[in-house]
Order: sequence, then structure tokens, then C-alpha cells
Amino acid sequence: MQKTALPRSRKRRFQNTLPFWLILPTLIVLLVVQVYPALYTVWLSFHEREPKGWVYVGWGNFQRLFHQSLFHESIGHTIVFLVGYTVITMTAGFFIALLLNRKLRLSGLYITLLFIPWILADIIAGMVFRLLVIPDYGLLAGFLQNPAIFPPKGLSVLTAVPPHPWFGDFPFPPAPAMILLILASSWRALPFITLLLLAAMQTVPTEIIESSRIDGANGRQIIRHILIPLMLPTMVVALFSLTLTGVNSVGMIFSLTGGGPGTSTEVLSYLLYTIGWNQLRFGRAAALALMMAIVNWLLITGTLRLTRVEERSR
Amino acid sequence: MLKINPLTRKRLNQMAVNVAILLVIVFAMIPIATTVLISFKREQDVIRKPPVIFPCDTPEKSFDLRACRWSTEGYYRVLAPKPSKTSPLGFVLTGNMLRTYLPNTLLYASVTAFIVVFLAGMSGYAFSRYHFRGYRALMTAILAITGVPLLTNLLALYQMGVILRKADLPFWDDRIFIVIVYIGFYLPLSVWIAKGFFDAIPRELEEAALIDGCTPLCALWRVIMPLAMPGLTAIFLLTFVNVWNEFIAAYLLIAKNEYKTAMYGLYDFLGQNIINVQVIAAACILIATPVVILFLFTRRTFFRAMVEGAVKG
Repeated sequence: MQKTALPRSRKRRFQNTLPFWLILPTLIVLLVVQVYPALYTVWLSFHEREPKGWVYVGWGNFQRLFHQSLFHESIGHTIVFLVGYTVITMTAGFFIALLLNRKLRLSGLYITLLFIPWILADIIAGMVFRLLVIPDYGLLAGFLQNPAIFPPKGLSVLTAVPPHPWFGDFPFPPAPAMILLILASSWRALPFITLLLLAAMQTVPTEIIESSRIDGANGRQIIRHILIPLMLPTMVVALFSLTLTGVNSVGMIFSLTGGGPGTSTEVLSYLLYTIGWNQLRFGRAAALALMMAIVNWLLITGTLRLTRVEERSR
Repeated sequence: MLKINPLTRKRLNQMAVNVAILLVIVFAMIPIATTVLISFKREQDVIRKPPVIFPCDTPEKSFDLRACRWSTEGYYRVLAPKPSKTSPLGFVLTGNMLRTYLPNTLLYASVTAFIVVFLAGMSGYAFSRYHFRGYRALMTAILAITGVPLLTNLLALYQMGVILRKADLPFWDDRIFIVIVYIGFYLPLSVWIAKGFFDAIPRELEEAALIDGCTPLCALWRVIMPLAMPGLTAIFLLTFVNVWNEFIAAYLLIAKNEYKTAMYGLYDFLGQNIINVQVIAAACILIATPVVILFLFTRRTFFRAMVEGAVKG
């Protein structure tokens, strides 16, 4: 081998620092693509582009963002979206996992089939749901636009104006397009959450369930007092991961609603795109990105702390 | 009370569960099935009011299997075949999707996946086997980076892209840029997954190789790599599919049309074909089919990587 030609001390030094050399390329890539842009975003958020170049504006970007009514509106949209998305996905995922948790001959096939939506790109998933409700021609449009079913004029999901909000400016009840967005996002996230919950469910020892059944517990009691407490750490992880993807996903909005009708599906992630690339206000968009990154970071540290607690309690 | 034989009862129960799952699957498949149906319709059947599910109705009957008007018009318009004398098949496909966008996607996805596997393999191994100074801090840092979304970094990356384009570096184009961005974004999670897989390989094997006179690098290459192959394949597949499906970065960071990806092409179709949804449906099916087939053949590997990744964060 060629290495033997090296002087012994150099060879020794190379072997002692081997882990460093193995990690170095990864570190360089991460510094260039993750750390530097993150710092750059911080810099951008305090600057704005003027005709003569970048100008320092201090907290101006943040102030202007807070005064933008669309910003407040999209916080409302994001909250409505997140609550609907997490509740629907977690509930449906839990019940499907319960079904799959029995020893079924075909459960491998079932899981594979159920998983296909997850493998589709978010933009394709949005497109697929859009095709269902395209005004007049979508396959569900015939049903939804029937005035007998949805009085008074039938429901055209992609163009219907949001109903009058119940609580001040908070966008609840959501616009039909928002409901569709929630359903489409849940549809795509469901397989992953189901698999995660199923994996946790399968670690619950069957002896515990058997013995509680002998003690006279019924199905609901077993779920309520045994399964859910034992699965709680995983459920929290699933919830956090759903929230994270929900805050950051944007592809589906592009193909499903484009933020519309009006601004009724303009969530924060899409607002970032709108401010940055439609209004070309990079500084203000960076301020928004920074705030979103902080929310992300809080969510991640939360997850980390929880998983660490879980590891310690094992 | 009706007395039921416990065995029959169990079987009935099983059947009920199976039926319930099948219902869930059918329900989950409806959007995909309708897209497939639409992609095989003619324009006249797509723009009918009220919409029909199957283009199989005749003036007399609402459904007649012999009267079905299936067509490949949507695919035809995506692929845009033109007769050609030089081609051995007698025609060439001139659609942008197949000539430009899909090859680009394939290129970015495979190059990114290869490099990610290589880098994640190296650093995952180091993290799994050596507990050097700063080990814990580095691990935590990488885990923290795992959660940084592509979205919030996009503004800065876009500016970097603009500056780099202006700098007019030799050999530099948007393709290199986007691949580097993808590597940076799919690497952190892959490092974690790789570490998990390496942790599962017993150290004794490696020590035996070292005693037999292998250098650490040789032990890594000859002993560990073959055992880690399934894990690394999983990382490759996961990264490949992630890049294949990525839209927003490709849309914003690539300036030249000839370097854009299939997902961009699809978004472009949406703007061009407001009425002709069969074209959009056909494009969706064309782009999604490769990854769905890839997934069906490698699902076990997939699930393993996902569970490994999910447990870690």
C-alpha cells in the first residue's frame, strides 16, 4: 500500500486525526449552505435595498412588517392551518395505526398502499386536489356547486370568499380553500404519522394490554389509560414534526390555491415568498424569515428536550 | 344474547378490520385515481358540465363500457412527439418536460444523493466510532441544523446565487449551485441516520480487522462499508426522492430555463393549461411514476431510514 511510504509520525498523526478529516467536508458544506446563509439572513433583516444599494435600516423592517395588515392576517391563517392540520392528521393517523396494529396477513401491502401519498411531491399533491375542485370541471365540483346541497348558490372552493369571521379579525371559520389546503396537507402527511404512531404502538407490550383486558378494561379504556400514556413521547414528537413541516411547507400552496382566493390561504411561509419575490422587499422578507427561524428553533429545542427526557427515563 | 363461537367471532373481527382498512385505502386513493382518469380523457370530456367521472356515457345509457372514449391526448401534449426521419423510432419527443426538465431533475437528484451518501457515510462513521473533543457540541450543532428549514434560508441563498452569477466564475452555473444547496439541506439528517446505522454494527468486527493488520481506513472500507450498505442505500433513496420532489428552491434559485426542474415544469403547465387539465394530470402522472415505482421496489429500505430518522428528530 502507498501509505507505508509515509514517514511513521505523519502516518500516526493522520490516523489520530482521522475523525476530523472524515467530518471536515460535511462541516464545510454545512457552513457554506446553512450557517453562512443564516447569518446573511440576519444581516438582510436589518437592511433594505434602495436604488443606490443596501441601506442599514435598523429595526425598520420589523416595524414595517408589524404594521402590515397582511402579516397579522397570515398569522391567523397559519394558526388555523396548523390546528386543523395537526388535529386531523394526528387523529386519523392514530386510528389507522390502531387498525394496522392487529396481526393482519396483508398489513405489509396495506402500509405500502397507504404510503403512496407521502411519496408524491407536495406540489403534485396540491395539483391532484386542485383537479378535484376546479370550478365547473373538477370531479367534485358537480357535487359541491350543486345549489341543493350547498345553498344558496353552491360552493366553488377555489373562488369562494371566506365567511364572516366570528372573533374580530381572526380568520375563523376558514375559507373553503383553506379547508381544502388542510385536507390536502393532512392527506400527504398522514402516512408518515401513521407509521410513526404504529411503530410506537408496537413497542407497547402485549402483556400489559392482555392483562388489563382480563381485568375487565374495555377497548376505549385501554386506549385512554394504557396506549396513549405509553405512546405519549412519540405522539409529542409526531406533533412537533407536523407543526414544523406545517409552518415551513409552501409548495402545496403554489399549486393548490396560490394564496387565494384573495388572501384567504396566505400563510406565513407563502407570505415570505410574496414579500420577497413579488414585492421584492428582501429586507422585510428576511425579517419575517428570521422570526420564522426562531419559531422553528424553539420547536426543535422543545423536541430535543422531550426526546432527551424520554431517553433518560428509559 | 346471541351466542357466537369465539373462533368465528375472532374471524369476523378480523374481517371487519380488513374492511375498515380497505375503506381507508380506497378513500386515500380517490385523488390519485381521479388524476389518472383525467389524464386519459379527451379535451371534450374534461370540459363537460356537469363533470363525468368516466367518459363512457352515450345518449341512451349513462355507462357503456364499449363507448368509452379513452385517449392519450394529455400525454401526447406533454411529450409532443414529432415525426423524424433520423430517429430509429420514427419520431422524437420534443416536449420540454422530457427533453429538459426531467433529465435535469434526474441529474440533480442522483448527484446530490451520491455526494450526500458519501459525506454522511464518512461523518456518520466518525461520530459513531470516535468520541473526540467537541464531539457532543458538534453532534448537537448538526442536529440543530437539521431543523433549519430550506425556506428561511432561501432569501440569503437567492442573494448568494445572484452574486455568484455576476461574478462569472469559470465552470460555475446554477446547476452546481443548486446541487450544493441540496447537499447542504439533506446532509444533516443523513448524518444522523448514518450514525444510527453505524452504531448498530458491532465494534468487534472492526477491532478484529485492525488486529489483522488493517489500517482504520482499510477497516472502514473493507469491513464496515459492506455491512453499512443497506443503511447507505436508504440514505441514497431518501435523498433522491426528496430532491426529486423539491420545488421552491429549484423554482427560485435557478435562473436559466434550460436548467430548471420537472417540478418547475409542472408549475409552468398549471399556468398554461387552465382549461386543459388532462395535460396537467398527464404531467403529474409522468413525474410521479418514477419515484412511486422506486418506492414500491425499495419500501423496506425506505421505512428503515424513516424510522431511524424520525426517532432522531
